[in-house]
Amino acid sequence: MDRRLVLRLGLVGLDLGLLIGGLYMVLVYVPTAKDMGVVQRIFYLHVPLAWVGFLAFFVVFVGSIMYLWRRGRHWDIIAHSSSEIGMVFITLMLVSGSIWAKAAWGAWWIWEPRLTSSLVLWLIYIAYILVRSLTPEVERGARFAAVVGVVGFVDVPIVVLAVTLWRTHHSSLIIFEGGVAPAMMATLMVCLVAFTILYALLLMQMAAIRRDEEELARLRVILR
Amino acid sequence: MKFWRSVLAIAYKDLLSEMRTRETISSVVVFALLVIVIFNFAFGGNTEQMRLVAPGILWVTFAFAGVLSLTRAFIPEKEEGCLDGLMVAPIGRDAIYVGKMLSSLVFMLVVEAIALPVFTLLFNLDVFSPELVVVTLLATVGFVAVGTLFSALAVNTRAREMVLPILFLPVVVPVMIAAVSAFELALAGESWGAMSSWLQIIGAFDVVFLVVSYLVFGYVIEQ
Amino acid sequence: MENSSYLLAAFAVVWAGVFGLVFSLVVRQRRLRREIDALRQEVEKQSR
Repeated sequence: MDRRLVLRLGLVGLDLGLLIGGLYMVLVYVPTAKDMGVVQRIFYLHVPLAWVGFLAFFVVFVGSIMYLWRRGRHWDIIAHSSSEIGMVFITLMLVSGSIWAKAAWGAWWIWEPRLTSSLVLWLIYIAYILVRSLTPEVERGARFAAVVGVVGFVDVPIVVLAVTLWRTHHSSLIIFEGGVAPAMMATLMVCLVAFTILYALLLMQMAAIRRDEEELARLRVILR
Repeated sequence: MKFWRSVLAIAYKDLLSEMRTRETISSVVVFALLVIVIFNFAFGGNTEQMRLVAPGILWVTFAFAGVLSLTRAFIPEKEEGCLDGLMVAPIGRDAIYVGKMLSSLVFMLVVEAIALPVFTLLFNLDVFSPELVVVTLLATVGFVAVGTLFSALAVNTRAREMVLPILFLPVVVPVMIAAVSAFELALAGESWGAMSSWLQIIGAFDVVFLVVSYLVFGYVIEQ
Repeated sequence: MENSSYLLAAFAVVWAGVFGLVFSLVVRQRRLRREIDALRQEVEKQSR
């Protein structure tokens, strides 16, 4: 137990360091983009948020498949926890994307391929979470959610394909133009790693909470 | 062989019971026509505008009509206890899926076969090409492949009429985009080559989701 | 709205979101731990 705690604390420390370092890089170190100005820096938050949102759904997918196959509680716990964290990150991605769109193009929303695909993913997340809560029986709810997780994830690449084809057909709004300077790349990498580790930590925390909740329910049953 | 016999038996049962009462098909057809007419009023009757939005209107109509008819696909099974009967019978879960899917497919195609001519009439579109028919057929297969799975799921939840659209509509987005775009191209007089990428998307969707739904269906109706 | 205030808004929202999530998880964890310890003591008492 002690070893795991040390590992956990180590990761938290590393992540804090990366987040603070990343923040410095985003706000100070990185050169300002030519056309868009300062607002372009939202990019360094926006992309990692999107990445985590999709990564979290991949974890939901794996957890769902394993749960349907093996029926271990821990698989459902992982999928459920990942869905809630992923949902938050995708929501933040959409909000930051919206603010960026307003700053750069004057509209609170643009039907740009990445934003649109993320919106559909957001809707699929909602479907996953709602199905679980709207099913009266708990085990069935977990099973149904797993089905949505599998079908939803398989859908994502097709959605991205269709949306991208659709938007390049109609207009060409590029979210960033020009070459990527090495300083920009480095900043992006730091932020990506920082957010990925953050996701892993949050996932572990959430899974522990779920496990505790089930333990609590078990204790309550014993005491009846 | 036994598989196909079970499939056809299930599909036949559904279609037969529908033919006797005709209650669902008439309400869905009326609904589809109403939606088309209301959209007409919503867009103010400007013919140039109409031509632009016509494919979108049609596919929104088909999507909603699809949700309406898919909702009813499993409700009688659940309420009359028919599903338990089906499960006890020596029929594989996969046969239930394929049978249900086929009956829903036929059902939707009938609705579309009625709505499409009316649509071209009301919107004064003089094009009625094989391209439109093929796109409609492929897209409907996609709708039904996913819709049958989700309908069986939704029927076991608390707000079943709401759950199906929440599940179904986001997942079906690629088909909607592709069908509308293909229709736009067809109505502009383009032929197969121009819409090939859209057809590929719908085709890929169909194959992928027929397979996935088929594999996963058992988990939805068990116990 | 000036360019940099959009930047500020975006950063504020994102960090508020992230810290909100972290905070709520920590609070939930603590509350659960407390309840579990209390119930565990109850179980001990009853089994005596």
